[in-house]
Amino acid sequence: MRIFKFLLISCFLFSFVQCKKDRNTRYEIVETPSYGDNLNKDKDKTNIEFHSILSTNLFQKPSSINELTRTDRVIQSCGDKTLINEVIISNYMNSSQVILPSRKRMVDSTERFVEETYVRFFIRRPTEAEKTWFINFINANKSNPSFRPELVYTAFSASDEYMFY
Amino acid sequence: MKRRDFVKKTAALAAGSVVLPYILPSGSLFAQSNAPLAEHVVYVLFGGGLRQQDSILQRYLSDSQNFNVAGNILYNMLEGAPPASKIAYGTTPSGQPDGIQPIPKILSQTLQKQGTIFAEMRAISGGHYGGLNSLITGSRVEGQGLKVRPVNPTVFEYARRFGGYRATDTWFIGNTIGNSVPLLNSSKHPDFGLTYGANFFAPNVTFGSDGYAALSNAKIYHPQEELEPMYKMKNFLDNSFNIKKGDMPGIRNTDDERTKIKEFIASTFQRQAAGQLPMPPVSGGDGSTIGYAAEVLRVFKPKLLVVNMSNIDGCHGNFTGYLQAMHRADHALGFLWNYIQSIPEMSGKTIMCFVPECGRNLQHNPIIDQNDWYGYDHGDANSLRVFGGMVGPNVQSNLMVGSESNPIGVVTDFNLTIAEILGYKSDVQSAGFIDPNAKSLFDRI
Repeated sequence: MRIFKFLLISCFLFSFVQCKKDRNTRYEIVETPSYGDNLNKDKDKTNIEFHSILSTNLFQKPSSINELTRTDRVIQSCGDKTLINEVIISNYMNSSQVILPSRKRMVDSTERFVEETYVRFFIRRPTEAEKTWFINFINANKSNPSFRPELVYTAFSASDEYMFY
Repeated sequence: MKRRDFVKKTAALAAGSVVLPYILPSGSLFAQSNAPLAEHVVYVLFGGGLRQQDSILQRYLSDSQNFNVAGNILYNMLEGAPPASKIAYGTTPSGQPDGIQPIPKILSQTLQKQGTIFAEMRAISGGHYGGLNSLITGSRVEGQGLKVRPVNPTVFEYARRFGGYRATDTWFIGNTIGNSVPLLNSSKHPDFGLTYGANFFAPNVTFGSDGYAALSNAKIYHPQEELEPMYKMKNFLDNSFNIKKGDMPGIRNTDDERTKIKEFIASTFQRQAAGQLPMPPVSGGDGSTIGYAAEVLRVFKPKLLVVNMSNIDGCHGNFTGYLQAMHRADHALGFLWNYIQSIPEMSGKTIMCFVPECGRNLQHNPIIDQNDWYGYDHGDANSLRVFGGMVGPNVQSNLMVGSESNPIGVVTDFNLTIAEILGYKSDVQSAGFIDPNAKSLFDRI
């Protein structure tokens, strides 16, 4: 009888230490866009980096290394780098391959257009002040038929911030 | 007014008068420190290493190849009869011996007759970059590394800061993007630097096949309808991003200047295609660089333009090619001087200075060319022997200063000379970066 009790108690105690099914804990990721600001951009892009990124932004595909090397030589041959970049950008803008948003999109969805442009070129969201300035500027130029997304893209690609990362 | 207010206002006024000229980009609040001698300066770096014996001493092959043939192959620059035999310095008509045809003289009167030549000067360095650096900065080149901007302020920065000129008033036309030449349009000095740098083109690249592919199809935007809003946006973006002075990747032009330079680039491609660029009759290489410099003079009428040549440096391995390059460079220099006289805004108001950055060795190297003539390197004491000159208003004509036995002047003199011509010599001297042995060449006479 004593042995029976001992076995019963042992079985009861063993029931606490037996194998258990693993708990399968899953941590999921909530996708939240994270963009920096312009305060930490203190490294200037090389000519080749600049034009490689630029052509990807404008053509949605990278340039060939030959084209980048040639462009690098041309930039070195001019003293005002931002000026020569503007000329190269306007040369790109004359290409039929360049992919630009429509004027209608810029005018009809101005806020979204401004945000997308900042993210595309500066890898950051605009501050409220920047967004407000651009929305007002685009609205003020709606009546100018020459005012196109091309000019906005040119201004962004020729800006100081775009030359740094 | 209370005494305390009076003292405060006087102190503020005094501080402002000291500080303002240094914080305004033009730096032109003060009157010029001396009366200008001319309105424009064209400074030709007659470069690549010019051996004194073969150039101004007019010994042709007699002091280099052991042939008893002397003569002057720089007959636009210098007085003297050309060699009578062993003609190899000219052009090569089809089917004829190499260099057999001398280029006809382009000036009716030599630069020597029209101006002042310093027959025996001293260079600061026997190397190219050190030599060019000393010509551009007017300083000795201690502590100067390769592939970095000059340590001391350049002739352009002095002109812009003390002369109050805009970026498009000062130009450096380089013959290459190699050898750190594109870095010579500005120093990295913290008190000067790119803020006061010159515009730069290496036209054989900018307007060569690379430039044609990258630039020639550029859109010409309407100045008011398109460029104005674009620049407004760009300026807004730039104001939101505080770029540090030391991080500027290049010099800066104003919006108006940028528009003008863009038009210049577009028109240069058009005029190039139409054969309308002002090229020397015998062009190519350095001659082409001089032609583009002439085009910049025509369009911008700059206060200071510096142009660099270097084909002469082929002397390392091809003495015949060196003679031909020297002869062509003389031709190009004559063409440039003539062309300046054809620009109404510059004719009679421009002083042209010319000097090589270094000479060449006394002894030849073992490399022989197609005529079995030996090449010459540079770096020994003989390569510090050079000559220079200037021509234009207020420059004494038909004057030769110094001689082989009486050297007068150092190449760093040219920076102070240009400062004197344009009217800010004492400012440059006070800045304290010029070679202490340098003087204005006008003070050497």
